[in-house]
Amino acid sequence: MKKFTVGTTVRVVFVLIVLGVAVFPLYWMFTTSLTSDSNLFGKTVQPFPDFSRMGVYVQALTSGNVPLWLLNSFVIAAGTCLLSVILGIPLAYALSRFSFRGKALAGVALFLTQMLPEALLVVPLFALFRQLGLLNSLFGLIMADTAFVLPIVAFILKGAIDAIPRELEEAARVDGCRPLTILTRINLPLIAPTLAAAAVISFFSGWNEYVFAVTFAADPHVQPASVGLAGFIGELSTPLQTVMAVSVVYTLPAVAFYLLAQKYVVSGMTAGAVKG
Amino acid sequence: MTTSLTTKRPRAATPPPTRRRRSPLGSKWTPYFFLAPAGLYLLIFQGFPLLQELRLSFTRTSLLNPSNNEWIGFDNFVKIFSSSQFQHTLWVTLIYVIVCVVGTISVGLGAALLMNGNFRGRSVARALVAIPWAAPAVAVALIATWMVDSQYGIVNRVLNAIGLGVPGGSILNSTTYALPAILITTIWQLFPFVAVVLLSALQSVPKDVQESAMMDGAGVLWAFRVVTWPVIKPSIGLLALLMTIWSIRRFELIWLMTRGGPVNSTNTLVIDLYSQAFELNDIGTAAAVGMVGVVISLLVVTASSYITRRAEQEDSR
Repeated sequence: MKKFTVGTTVRVVFVLIVLGVAVFPLYWMFTTSLTSDSNLFGKTVQPFPDFSRMGVYVQALTSGNVPLWLLNSFVIAAGTCLLSVILGIPLAYALSRFSFRGKALAGVALFLTQMLPEALLVVPLFALFRQLGLLNSLFGLIMADTAFVLPIVAFILKGAIDAIPRELEEAARVDGCRPLTILTRINLPLIAPTLAAAAVISFFSGWNEYVFAVTFAADPHVQPASVGLAGFIGELSTPLQTVMAVSVVYTLPAVAFYLLAQKYVVSGMTAGAVKG
Repeated sequence: MTTSLTTKRPRAATPPPTRRRRSPLGSKWTPYFFLAPAGLYLLIFQGFPLLQELRLSFTRTSLLNPSNNEWIGFDNFVKIFSSSQFQHTLWVTLIYVIVCVVGTISVGLGAALLMNGNFRGRSVARALVAIPWAAPAVAVALIATWMVDSQYGIVNRVLNAIGLGVPGGSILNSTTYALPAILITTIWQLFPFVAVVLLSALQSVPKDVQESAMMDGAGVLWAFRVVTWPVIKPSIGLLALLMTIWSIRRFELIWLMTRGGPVNSTNTLVIDLYSQAFELNDIGTAAAVGMVGVVISLLVVTASSYITRRAEQEDSR
Protein backbone atom coordinates (compact mmCIF):
# COMPACT_ATOMS: atom_id res chain seq x y z
CA MET A 1 0.00 0.00 0.00
CA LYS A 2 1.37 3.33 -1.03
CA LYS A 3 0.73 6.10 1.40
CA PHE A 4 0.09 9.70 0.55
CA THR A 5 3.60 11.06 0.09
CA VAL A 6 5.18 14.43 -0.49
CA GLY A 7 6.36 13.21 -3.88
CA THR A 8 2.86 12.46 -5.15
CA THR A 9 1.51 15.75 -3.78
CA VAL A 10 4.14 17.72 -5.66
CA ARG A 11 3.43 15.69 -8.74
CA VAL A 12 -0.30 16.29 -8.52
CA VAL A 13 0.25 20.03 -8.06
CA PHE A 14 2.41 20.14 -11.19
CA VAL A 15 -0.08 18.03 -13.13
CA LEU A 16 -2.80 20.49 -12.15
CA ILE A 17 -0.66 23.38 -13.37
CA VAL A 18 -0.09 21.66 -16.73
CA LEU A 19 -3.81 20.92 -17.05
CA GLY A 20 -4.66 24.48 -16.10
CA VAL A 21 -2.39 25.84 -18.82
CA ALA A 22 -3.79 23.35 -21.33
CA VAL A 23 -7.44 24.08 -20.61
CA PHE A 24 -7.41 27.76 -19.68
CA PRO A 25 -7.68 29.39 -23.14
CA LEU A 26 -10.76 27.36 -24.01
CA TYR A 27 -12.21 28.00 -20.57
CA TRP A 28 -11.57 31.68 -21.18
CA MET A 29 -13.31 31.51 -24.52
CA PHE A 30 -16.37 30.09 -22.78
CA THR A 31 -16.20 32.56 -19.89
CA THR A 32 -15.86 35.51 -22.26
CA SER A 33 -18.98 34.40 -24.10
CA LEU A 34 -20.87 34.54 -20.80
CA THR A 35 -19.65 37.90 -19.50
CA SER A 36 -21.47 41.20 -19.78
CA ASP A 37 -19.92 44.13 -21.64
CA SER A 38 -19.39 46.09 -18.47
CA ASN A 39 -17.46 43.20 -16.95
CA LEU A 40 -15.45 42.51 -20.11
CA PHE A 41 -14.32 46.09 -20.53
CA GLY A 42 -14.32 47.15 -16.89
CA LYS A 43 -11.55 47.65 -14.40
CA THR A 44 -11.73 44.16 -12.92
CA VAL A 45 -11.86 40.70 -14.47
CA GLN A 46 -14.84 38.39 -14.11
CA PRO A 47 -13.18 35.01 -13.60
CA PHE A 48 -16.22 32.73 -13.89
CA PRO A 49 -18.93 32.35 -16.53
CA ASP A 50 -22.29 33.93 -15.76
CA PHE A 51 -24.71 31.16 -16.68
CA SER A 52 -27.70 33.47 -16.62
CA ARG A 53 -26.41 34.79 -19.93
CA MET A 54 -26.73 31.48 -21.82
CA GLY A 55 -29.24 33.21 -24.12
CA VAL A 56 -26.24 34.64 -25.96
CA TYR A 57 -25.80 31.20 -27.53
CA VAL A 58 -29.30 31.17 -28.98
CA GLN A 59 -28.72 34.69 -30.28
CA ALA A 60 -25.29 33.84 -31.72
CA LEU A 61 -26.45 30.70 -33.46
CA THR A 62 -29.33 32.44 -35.19
CA SER A 63 -27.55 35.67 -36.12
CA GLY A 64 -26.30 36.58 -39.58
CA ASN A 65 -24.66 33.82 -41.56
CA VAL A 66 -23.76 31.70 -38.53
CA PRO A 67 -26.19 28.82 -39.25
CA LEU A 68 -25.04 28.78 -42.87
CA TRP A 69 -21.37 28.73 -41.84
CA LEU A 70 -21.90 25.78 -39.56
CA LEU A 71 -23.92 23.97 -42.20
CA ASN A 72 -21.19 24.56 -44.80
CA SER A 73 -18.55 23.36 -42.38
CA PHE A 74 -20.59 20.25 -41.76
CA VAL A 75 -21.05 19.53 -45.47
CA ILE A 76 -17.33 20.04 -46.15
CA ALA A 77 -16.39 17.88 -43.18
CA ALA A 78 -18.81 15.07 -44.05
CA GLY A 79 -17.74 15.09 -47.69
CA THR A 80 -14.06 15.06 -46.79
CA CYS A 81 -14.70 12.21 -44.39
CA LEU A 82 -16.58 10.13 -46.95
CA LEU A 83 -14.19 10.71 -49.83
CA SER A 84 -10.99 10.20 -47.89
CA VAL A 85 -12.23 6.98 -46.26
CA ILE A 86 -13.45 5.59 -49.60
CA LEU A 87 -10.09 6.37 -51.22
CA GLY A 88 -8.05 5.54 -48.13
CA ILE A 89 -9.30 1.98 -47.57
CA PRO A 90 -8.00 0.46 -50.83
CA LEU A 91 -4.78 2.45 -50.56
CA ALA A 92 -4.17 1.17 -47.04
CA TYR A 93 -4.98 -2.36 -48.15
CA ALA A 94 -2.54 -2.18 -51.04
CA LEU A 95 0.22 -0.87 -48.79
CA SER A 96 -0.48 -3.40 -46.07
CA ARG A 97 -1.05 -6.65 -47.95
CA PHE A 98 0.76 -6.54 -51.25
CA SER A 99 4.31 -6.21 -52.36
CA PHE A 100 4.62 -4.49 -55.69
CA ARG A 101 7.08 -2.46 -57.68
CA GLY A 102 7.37 1.08 -56.40
CA LYS A 103 5.88 0.28 -53.00
CA ALA A 104 8.71 1.91 -51.07
CA LEU A 105 8.47 4.94 -53.32
CA ALA A 106 4.71 5.15 -52.75
CA GLY A 107 5.25 5.07 -48.98
CA VAL A 108 7.85 7.81 -49.08
CA ALA A 109 5.76 9.95 -51.45
CA LEU A 110 2.80 9.54 -49.14
CA PHE A 111 4.81 10.70 -46.17
CA LEU A 112 6.27 13.63 -48.08
CA THR A 113 2.78 14.95 -48.79
CA GLN A 114 2.60 15.71 -45.08
CA MET A 115 5.51 18.04 -45.62
CA LEU A 116 3.85 20.22 -48.25
CA PRO A 117 2.17 23.29 -46.77
CA GLU A 118 -1.39 23.94 -47.95
CA ALA A 119 -0.25 27.49 -48.67
CA LEU A 120 2.28 26.15 -51.20
CA LEU A 121 -0.28 24.27 -53.27
CA VAL A 122 -3.00 26.85 -52.92
CA VAL A 123 -1.90 28.80 -56.03
CA PRO A 124 -1.67 25.89 -58.49
CA LEU A 125 -4.82 24.34 -57.02
CA PHE A 126 -6.57 27.67 -57.47
CA ALA A 127 -5.65 27.59 -61.18
CA LEU A 128 -6.67 23.94 -61.51
CA PHE A 129 -9.98 24.52 -59.74
CA ARG A 130 -10.76 27.51 -61.91
CA GLN A 131 -10.36 25.32 -64.98
CA LEU A 132 -12.49 22.57 -63.46
CA GLY A 133 -15.12 25.05 -62.27
CA LEU A 134 -14.55 24.04 -58.63
CA LEU A 135 -14.02 27.52 -57.20
CA ASN A 136 -16.76 28.79 -54.89
CA SER A 137 -18.08 25.29 -54.46
CA LEU A 138 -18.29 23.10 -51.39
CA PHE A 139 -17.35 20.13 -53.54
CA GLY A 140 -14.11 21.83 -54.56
CA LEU A 141 -13.21 22.38 -50.91
CA ILE A 142 -13.98 18.74 -50.18
CA MET A 143 -11.62 17.69 -53.00
CA ALA A 144 -8.79 19.89 -51.73
CA ASP A 145 -9.20 18.91 -48.07
CA THR A 146 -9.32 15.22 -48.99
CA ALA A 147 -5.98 15.45 -50.79
CA PHE A 148 -4.34 16.57 -47.57
CA VAL A 149 -5.93 14.18 -45.09
CA LEU A 150 -5.96 11.10 -47.33
CA PRO A 151 -2.33 10.06 -46.57
CA ILE A 152 -2.97 10.26 -42.83
CA VAL A 153 -6.16 8.21 -43.14
CA ALA A 154 -4.29 5.64 -45.24
CA PHE A 155 -1.49 5.31 -42.67
CA ILE A 156 -3.96 4.87 -39.82
CA LEU A 157 -5.91 2.20 -41.68
CA LYS A 158 -2.76 0.44 -42.86
CA GLY A 159 -1.67 0.03 -39.25
CA ALA A 160 -4.98 -1.64 -38.40
CA ILE A 161 -4.93 -3.96 -41.43
CA ASP A 162 -1.31 -4.92 -40.63
CA ALA A 163 -2.56 -6.23 -37.30
CA ILE A 164 -5.09 -8.65 -38.83
CA PRO A 165 -3.66 -12.17 -39.14
CA ARG A 166 -3.19 -13.12 -42.79
CA GLU A 167 -4.54 -16.60 -42.06
CA LEU A 168 -8.07 -15.18 -42.02
CA GLU A 169 -7.62 -13.99 -45.58
CA GLU A 170 -6.02 -17.27 -46.65
CA ALA A 171 -9.13 -19.15 -45.57
CA ALA A 172 -11.36 -16.84 -47.57
CA ARG A 173 -9.06 -17.08 -50.56
CA VAL A 174 -9.19 -20.87 -50.49
CA ASP A 175 -12.97 -20.54 -50.54
CA GLY A 176 -12.58 -18.59 -53.77
CA CYS A 177 -13.12 -15.03 -52.56
CA ARG A 178 -11.72 -12.21 -54.66
CA PRO A 179 -9.40 -9.65 -53.06
CA LEU A 180 -12.09 -6.98 -53.08
CA THR A 181 -14.53 -9.30 -51.33
CA ILE A 182 -11.86 -10.23 -48.81
CA LEU A 183 -11.26 -6.56 -48.09
CA THR A 184 -14.92 -5.65 -47.62
CA ARG A 185 -16.14 -8.84 -45.91
CA ILE A 186 -13.16 -9.76 -43.74
CA ASN A 187 -10.86 -6.80 -43.18
CA LEU A 188 -13.28 -3.92 -42.89
CA PRO A 189 -15.47 -5.38 -40.12
CA LEU A 190 -12.33 -6.19 -38.14
CA ILE A 191 -10.92 -2.67 -38.36
CA ALA A 192 -14.24 -0.95 -37.60
CA PRO A 193 -12.96 0.97 -34.54
CA THR A 194 -9.95 2.29 -36.44
CA LEU A 195 -12.19 3.09 -39.36
CA ALA A 196 -14.35 5.16 -37.04
CA ALA A 197 -11.27 6.98 -35.77
CA ALA A 198 -10.09 7.68 -39.31
CA ALA A 199 -13.55 9.00 -40.11
CA VAL A 200 -13.38 11.34 -37.10
CA ILE A 201 -9.96 12.60 -38.11
CA SER A 202 -10.88 13.28 -41.72
CA PHE A 203 -14.21 14.81 -40.69
CA PHE A 204 -12.53 17.35 -38.44
CA SER A 205 -9.69 18.04 -40.80
CA GLY A 206 -12.42 19.26 -43.16
CA TRP A 207 -14.20 21.04 -40.31
CA ASN A 208 -11.04 22.86 -39.22
CA GLU A 209 -9.61 23.70 -42.63
CA TYR A 210 -9.05 27.38 -43.32
CA VAL A 211 -6.50 28.12 -46.08
CA PHE A 212 -8.37 26.57 -49.00
CA ALA A 213 -11.70 27.83 -47.74
CA VAL A 214 -10.56 31.43 -47.46
CA THR A 215 -8.85 31.33 -50.85
CA PHE A 216 -11.32 29.33 -52.93
CA ALA A 217 -14.62 30.46 -51.41
CA ALA A 218 -15.05 34.16 -52.06
CA ASP A 219 -18.81 33.67 -52.22
CA PRO A 220 -20.28 34.10 -48.70
CA HIS A 221 -22.79 31.34 -49.43
CA VAL A 222 -20.11 28.65 -49.45
CA GLN A 223 -17.94 30.00 -46.64
CA PRO A 224 -17.51 27.66 -43.68
CA ALA A 225 -17.29 28.60 -40.02
CA SER A 226 -13.48 28.71 -40.05
CA VAL A 227 -13.55 31.58 -42.54
CA GLY A 228 -16.47 33.27 -40.83
CA LEU A 229 -14.79 33.14 -37.42
CA ALA A 230 -11.45 34.31 -38.79
CA GLY A 231 -13.30 37.30 -40.21
CA PHE A 232 -14.20 38.32 -36.65
CA ILE A 233 -10.54 38.82 -35.73
CA GLY A 234 -9.82 42.51 -35.68
CA GLU A 235 -13.42 43.32 -36.50
CA LEU A 236 -15.29 45.34 -33.89
CA SER A 237 -18.93 45.55 -34.93
CA THR A 238 -19.91 42.05 -33.74
CA PRO A 239 -20.29 41.73 -29.96
CA LEU A 240 -17.38 39.82 -28.48
CA GLN A 241 -19.75 37.48 -26.62
CA THR A 242 -21.34 36.44 -29.92
CA VAL A 243 -17.92 35.83 -31.47
CA MET A 244 -16.80 33.69 -28.55
CA ALA A 245 -20.10 31.80 -28.43
CA VAL A 246 -19.80 30.86 -32.12
CA SER A 247 -16.20 29.92 -31.48
CA VAL A 248 -17.18 27.65 -28.59
CA VAL A 249 -19.84 25.92 -30.68
CA TYR A 250 -17.29 25.49 -33.47
CA THR A 251 -14.54 24.18 -31.18
CA LEU A 252 -16.43 21.83 -28.85
CA PRO A 253 -17.30 19.01 -31.28
CA ALA A 254 -13.77 19.02 -32.70
CA VAL A 255 -12.22 18.73 -29.26
CA ALA A 256 -14.68 16.09 -28.03
CA PHE A 257 -14.32 13.80 -31.03
CA TYR A 258 -10.57 14.21 -31.35
CA LEU A 259 -10.13 13.14 -27.77
CA LEU A 260 -12.09 9.97 -28.53
CA ALA A 261 -9.94 9.19 -31.55
CA GLN A 262 -6.69 10.46 -30.01
CA LYS A 263 -4.89 7.13 -29.75
CA TYR A 264 -5.44 6.35 -33.43
CA VAL A 265 -4.49 9.82 -34.66
CA VAL A 266 -1.19 9.65 -32.87
CA SER A 267 -0.35 6.18 -34.14
CA GLY A 268 -1.29 7.09 -37.70
CA MET A 269 0.75 10.25 -37.81
CA THR A 270 3.82 8.71 -36.27
CA ALA A 271 3.53 5.55 -38.40
CA GLY A 272 3.69 7.66 -41.53
CA ALA A 273 6.88 9.30 -40.34
CA VAL A 274 8.53 6.00 -39.42
CA LYS A 275 8.11 4.79 -42.98
CA GLY A 276 9.64 7.92 -44.41
CA MET B 1 15.80 -11.10 -42.24
CA THR B 2 15.87 -14.62 -43.68
CA THR B 3 12.87 -15.66 -41.61
CA SER B 4 10.74 -12.83 -42.88
CA LEU B 5 11.65 -13.75 -46.43
CA THR B 6 10.78 -17.38 -45.99
CA THR B 7 7.48 -16.55 -44.35
CA LYS B 8 6.49 -14.01 -46.97
CA ARG B 9 7.52 -15.66 -50.21
CA PRO B 10 5.34 -18.78 -50.10
CA ARG B 11 2.33 -16.69 -49.14
CA ALA B 12 2.49 -14.64 -52.27
CA ALA B 13 2.67 -17.85 -54.24
CA THR B 14 0.26 -19.97 -52.18
CA PRO B 15 -3.00 -19.59 -54.14
CA PRO B 16 -3.02 -22.44 -56.62
CA PRO B 17 -3.04 -21.41 -60.29
CA THR B 18 -6.59 -22.63 -60.86
CA ARG B 19 -7.93 -20.22 -58.23
CA ARG B 20 -5.97 -17.44 -59.82
CA ARG B 21 -7.70 -17.90 -63.09
CA ARG B 22 -11.06 -17.92 -61.36
CA SER B 23 -10.41 -14.55 -59.77
CA PRO B 24 -9.15 -12.17 -62.43
CA LEU B 25 -8.24 -9.58 -59.81
CA GLY B 26 -5.90 -11.93 -58.02
CA SER B 27 -3.12 -11.32 -60.52
CA LYS B 28 0.01 -9.21 -60.37
CA TRP B 29 -2.20 -6.24 -61.20
CA THR B 30 -4.25 -6.62 -58.02
CA PRO B 31 -2.18 -4.21 -55.90
CA TYR B 32 -2.38 -1.54 -58.58
CA PHE B 33 -6.13 -1.97 -58.73
CA PHE B 34 -6.29 -1.05 -55.04
CA LEU B 35 -3.64 1.61 -55.36
CA ALA B 36 -5.04 3.38 -58.40
CA PRO B 37 -7.96 5.44 -57.05
CA ALA B 38 -6.07 7.15 -54.25
CA GLY B 39 -2.85 7.22 -56.25
CA LEU B 40 -4.45 9.02 -59.18
CA TYR B 41 -6.27 11.34 -56.81
CA LEU B 42 -3.07 12.34 -55.05
CA LEU B 43 -1.25 12.75 -58.36
CA ILE B 44 -3.92 15.14 -59.58
CA PHE B 45 -4.32 17.16 -56.38
CA GLN B 46 -0.82 17.01 -54.92
CA GLY B 47 1.72 15.85 -57.51
CA PHE B 48 0.50 17.86 -60.46
CA PRO B 49 0.07 21.12 -58.48
CA LEU B 50 3.53 20.66 -57.01
CA LEU B 51 5.03 20.40 -60.49
CA GLN B 52 3.01 23.43 -61.55
CA GLU B 53 4.38 25.34 -58.60
CA LEU B 54 7.91 24.27 -59.54
CA ARG B 55 7.37 25.54 -63.08
CA LEU B 56 5.85 28.81 -61.82
CA SER B 57 8.93 29.46 -59.73
CA PHE B 58 10.91 29.90 -62.95
CA THR B 59 8.44 32.35 -64.46
CA ARG B 60 7.28 35.90 -64.02
CA THR B 61 3.58 35.45 -63.37
CA SER B 62 0.91 37.67 -61.88
CA LEU B 63 -2.07 36.30 -60.01
CA LEU B 64 -4.25 38.69 -61.99
CA ASN B 65 -3.23 37.16 -65.31
CA PRO B 66 -1.81 33.71 -64.55
CA SER B 67 -1.93 32.34 -68.08
CA ASN B 68 0.52 34.99 -69.23
CA ASN B 69 3.82 33.78 -67.82
CA GLU B 70 7.29 34.45 -69.04
CA TRP B 71 10.15 32.01 -68.44
CA ILE B 72 12.87 33.86 -66.57
CA GLY B 73 15.08 31.01 -65.37
CA PHE B 74 16.50 31.49 -61.91
CA ASP B 75 15.68 35.20 -61.70
CA ASN B 76 13.07 34.75 -58.96
CA PHE B 77 15.55 32.83 -56.83
CA VAL B 78 18.31 35.35 -57.46
CA LYS B 79 15.89 38.10 -56.51
CA ILE B 80 14.72 36.59 -53.24
CA PHE B 81 18.15 35.48 -52.10
CA SER B 82 19.61 38.92 -52.71
CA SER B 83 16.81 40.69 -50.83
CA SER B 84 17.47 41.43 -47.19
CA GLN B 85 13.78 40.97 -46.48
CA PHE B 86 13.95 37.32 -47.55
CA GLN B 87 17.06 36.74 -45.48
CA HIS B 88 15.10 38.12 -42.57
CA THR B 89 12.27 35.72 -43.42
CA LEU B 90 14.66 32.77 -43.37
CA TRP B 91 15.98 33.96 -40.03
CA VAL B 92 12.48 34.29 -38.55
CA THR B 93 11.60 30.84 -39.88
CA LEU B 94 14.74 29.36 -38.33
CA ILE B 95 13.99 30.91 -34.94
CA TYR B 96 10.35 29.85 -35.13
CA VAL B 97 11.22 26.25 -36.03
CA ILE B 98 14.00 25.83 -33.47
CA VAL B 99 12.05 27.34 -30.58
CA CYS B 100 8.95 25.32 -31.53
CA VAL B 101 10.83 22.04 -31.73
CA VAL B 102 12.79 22.57 -28.52
CA GLY B 103 9.80 24.08 -26.72
CA THR B 104 7.20 21.47 -27.67
CA ILE B 105 9.53 18.58 -26.96
CA SER B 106 10.76 19.82 -23.60
CA VAL B 107 7.32 20.88 -22.37
CA GLY B 108 5.76 17.71 -23.80
CA LEU B 109 8.43 15.50 -22.23
CA GLY B 110 7.96 17.25 -18.89
CA ALA B 111 4.20 16.76 -19.04
CA ALA B 112 4.59 13.11 -20.07
CA LEU B 113 7.01 12.35 -17.22
CA LEU B 114 4.67 14.05 -14.75
CA MET B 115 1.65 12.08 -15.92
CA ASN B 116 3.45 8.77 -16.16
CA GLY B 117 3.25 8.26 -12.42
CA ASN B 118 0.46 6.73 -10.40
CA PHE B 119 -2.08 9.18 -9.10
CA ARG B 120 -5.83 9.48 -8.89
CA GLY B 121 -7.52 10.83 -11.99
CA ARG B 122 -4.58 9.95 -14.19
CA SER B 123 -6.72 8.95 -17.16
CA VAL B 124 -8.79 12.13 -16.92
CA ALA B 125 -5.60 14.19 -16.81
CA ARG B 126 -4.25 12.39 -19.87
CA ALA B 127 -7.42 13.15 -21.81
CA LEU B 128 -7.57 16.80 -20.75
CA VAL B 129 -3.96 17.53 -21.62
CA ALA B 130 -4.68 16.72 -25.26
CA ILE B 131 -7.29 19.47 -25.57
CA PRO B 132 -5.11 22.23 -27.06
CA TRP B 133 -4.00 19.97 -29.85
CA ALA B 134 -7.60 19.12 -30.71
CA ALA B 135 -8.73 22.75 -30.94
CA PRO B 136 -9.13 24.17 -34.46
CA ALA B 137 -6.36 26.61 -35.39
CA VAL B 138 -8.82 29.39 -36.21
CA ALA B 139 -10.41 29.16 -32.77
CA VAL B 140 -6.97 29.17 -31.16
CA ALA B 141 -5.95 32.28 -33.09
CA LEU B 142 -9.22 33.95 -32.11
CA ILE B 143 -8.92 33.32 -28.38
CA ALA B 144 -5.18 34.04 -28.34
CA THR B 145 -5.78 37.39 -30.03
CA TRP B 146 -8.44 38.27 -27.46
CA MET B 147 -6.27 37.13 -24.55
CA VAL B 148 -3.43 39.46 -25.57
CA ASP B 149 -5.77 42.34 -26.46
CA SER B 150 -3.90 45.53 -25.63
CA GLN B 151 -6.55 46.99 -23.33
CA TYR B 152 -8.80 44.27 -21.98
CA GLY B 153 -6.93 41.05 -22.67
CA ILE B 154 -6.38 38.85 -19.64
CA VAL B 155 -2.68 38.45 -20.39
CA ASN B 156 -2.06 42.17 -20.43
CA ARG B 157 -4.14 42.68 -17.30
CA VAL B 158 -2.09 40.08 -15.43
CA LEU B 159 1.22 41.39 -16.77
CA ASN B 160 0.27 44.93 -15.78
CA ALA B 161 -0.85 43.79 -12.36
CA ILE B 162 2.52 42.21 -11.63
CA GLY B 163 4.37 45.14 -13.15
CA LEU B 164 5.61 43.38 -16.28
CA GLY B 165 3.33 45.22 -18.68
CA VAL B 166 4.42 45.40 -22.28
CA PRO B 167 5.53 48.93 -23.18
CA GLY B 168 2.89 50.39 -25.46
CA GLY B 169 0.44 47.70 -24.45
CA SER B 170 -0.13 45.76 -27.63
CA ILE B 171 1.83 42.51 -27.74
CA LEU B 172 0.91 41.60 -31.30
CA ASN B 173 1.82 45.07 -32.56
CA SER B 174 5.26 44.93 -31.02
CA THR B 175 8.22 43.77 -33.08
CA THR B 176 9.75 42.42 -29.87
CA TYR B 177 6.80 40.52 -28.40
CA ALA B 178 4.73 39.36 -31.38
CA LEU B 179 7.00 36.43 -32.24
CA PRO B 180 7.27 35.20 -28.64
CA ALA B 181 3.47 35.42 -28.33
CA ILE B 182 3.02 33.33 -31.46
CA LEU B 183 5.68 30.88 -30.29
CA ILE B 184 3.97 30.43 -26.94
CA THR B 185 0.63 29.86 -28.66
CA THR B 186 2.18 27.31 -31.03
CA ILE B 187 3.93 25.45 -28.22
CA TRP B 188 0.70 25.50 -26.22
CA GLN B 189 -1.12 23.90 -29.11
CA LEU B 190 1.50 21.28 -30.03
CA PHE B 191 3.01 20.10 -26.74
CA PRO B 192 0.07 17.75 -26.07
CA PHE B 193 0.89 15.75 -29.18
CA VAL B 194 4.43 15.27 -27.91
CA ALA B 195 3.14 14.38 -24.45
CA VAL B 196 0.70 11.77 -25.78
CA VAL B 197 3.33 10.11 -27.99
CA LEU B 198 5.90 10.06 -25.19
CA LEU B 199 3.37 8.77 -22.65
CA SER B 200 2.81 5.71 -24.80
CA ALA B 201 6.56 5.33 -25.34
CA LEU B 202 7.10 5.49 -21.57
CA GLN B 203 4.81 2.45 -21.17
CA SER B 204 7.67 0.26 -22.34
CA VAL B 205 10.16 1.60 -19.80
CA PRO B 206 10.75 -1.26 -17.38
CA LYS B 207 9.35 -0.01 -14.07
CA ASP B 208 11.27 -2.40 -11.82
CA VAL B 209 14.59 -1.54 -13.44
CA GLN B 210 13.90 2.13 -12.90
CA GLU B 211 12.92 1.60 -9.27
CA SER B 212 15.90 -0.61 -8.49
CA ALA B 213 18.21 1.91 -10.13
CA MET B 214 16.80 4.58 -7.84
CA MET B 215 17.02 2.30 -4.80
CA ASP B 216 20.66 1.60 -5.54
CA GLY B 217 21.17 5.23 -4.69
CA ALA B 218 21.29 6.41 -8.25
CA GLY B 219 19.82 9.87 -8.66
CA VAL B 220 16.62 10.55 -10.51
CA LEU B 221 18.55 12.17 -13.35
CA TRP B 222 20.91 9.24 -13.65
CA ALA B 223 18.00 6.77 -13.69
CA PHE B 224 16.36 8.85 -16.39
CA ARG B 225 19.49 8.87 -18.50
CA VAL B 226 20.24 5.18 -18.20
CA VAL B 227 16.79 3.60 -18.05
CA THR B 228 14.24 5.97 -19.56
CA TRP B 229 16.16 7.90 -22.20
CA PRO B 230 17.24 4.90 -24.33
CA VAL B 231 13.61 3.78 -24.55
CA ILE B 232 12.14 7.12 -25.57
CA LYS B 233 15.05 8.28 -27.74
CA PRO B 234 13.60 6.96 -31.02
CA SER B 235 10.26 8.64 -30.25
CA ILE B 236 12.01 11.92 -29.49
CA GLY B 237 13.84 11.73 -32.81
CA LEU B 238 10.60 11.08 -34.63
CA LEU B 239 8.84 13.92 -32.82
CA ALA B 240 11.68 16.30 -33.61
CA LEU B 241 11.21 15.49 -37.29
CA LEU B 242 7.43 15.91 -37.15
CA MET B 243 7.62 19.14 -35.16
CA THR B 244 10.19 20.57 -37.59
CA ILE B 245 8.04 19.78 -40.61
CA TRP B 246 4.87 21.01 -38.94
CA SER B 247 6.52 24.25 -37.82
CA ILE B 248 7.84 24.95 -41.31
CA ARG B 249 4.36 24.55 -42.78
CA ARG B 250 2.36 26.25 -39.98
CA PHE B 251 0.16 28.92 -41.45
CA GLU B 252 -3.22 29.69 -39.89
CA LEU B 253 -2.06 30.67 -36.44
CA ILE B 254 0.56 33.15 -37.61
CA TRP B 255 -1.49 34.50 -40.48
CA LEU B 256 -4.53 35.16 -38.33
CA MET B 257 -2.64 36.61 -35.39
CA THR B 258 -0.20 38.95 -37.17
CA ARG B 259 -0.16 38.35 -40.98
CA GLY B 260 3.63 38.22 -40.65
CA GLY B 261 3.83 41.68 -39.10
CA PRO B 262 4.60 43.99 -37.45
CA VAL B 263 7.41 44.97 -39.84
CA ASN B 264 7.84 41.33 -40.95
CA SER B 265 8.87 40.30 -37.45
CA THR B 266 6.74 37.13 -37.67
CA ASN B 267 7.10 36.62 -41.42
CA THR B 268 7.93 32.93 -41.82
CA LEU B 269 8.47 31.28 -45.21
CA VAL B 270 4.89 30.11 -45.56
CA ILE B 271 3.48 33.49 -44.54
CA ASP B 272 5.82 35.18 -47.02
CA LEU B 273 4.74 32.75 -49.72
CA TYR B 274 1.06 33.45 -49.13
CA SER B 275 1.38 37.22 -48.96
CA GLN B 276 3.61 37.33 -52.07
CA ALA B 277 0.88 35.44 -53.91
CA PHE B 278 -2.31 36.95 -52.56
CA GLU B 279 -1.30 40.43 -51.42
CA LEU B 280 1.38 41.31 -53.97
CA ASN B 281 -0.18 39.11 -56.70
CA ASP B 282 3.30 37.85 -57.60
CA ILE B 283 2.83 34.08 -57.88
CA GLY B 284 6.20 33.57 -59.58
CA THR B 285 8.12 34.88 -56.60
CA ALA B 286 5.69 33.14 -54.24
CA ALA B 287 6.43 29.83 -55.96
CA ALA B 288 10.18 30.43 -55.63
CA VAL B 289 9.76 31.10 -51.90
CA GLY B 290 7.69 27.93 -51.64
CA MET B 291 10.31 25.86 -53.44
CA VAL B 292 12.97 27.07 -51.01
CA GLY B 293 10.68 25.79 -48.25
CA VAL B 294 10.25 22.43 -49.99
CA VAL B 295 14.02 22.04 -50.43
CA ILE B 296 14.61 22.89 -46.76
CA SER B 297 11.99 20.34 -45.67
CA LEU B 298 13.50 17.70 -47.95
CA LEU B 299 16.93 18.36 -46.48
CA VAL B 300 15.51 18.01 -42.98
CA VAL B 301 13.82 14.71 -43.83
CA THR B 302 16.95 13.35 -45.51
CA ALA B 303 19.20 14.43 -42.66
CA SER B 304 16.81 12.93 -40.13
CA SER B 305 16.64 9.55 -41.84
CA TYR B 306 20.43 9.56 -42.15
CA ILE B 307 20.82 10.31 -38.44
CA THR B 308 18.24 7.66 -37.51
CA ARG B 309 20.01 5.04 -39.61
CA ARG B 310 23.37 5.85 -38.07
CA ALA B 311 21.94 5.73 -34.57
CA GLU B 312 20.42 2.32 -35.32
CA GLN B 313 23.73 1.03 -36.64
CA GLU B 314 25.53 2.23 -33.54
CA ASP B 315 22.92 0.62 -31.30
CA SER B 316 23.23 -2.71 -33.03
CA ARG B 317 26.99 -2.72 -32.65
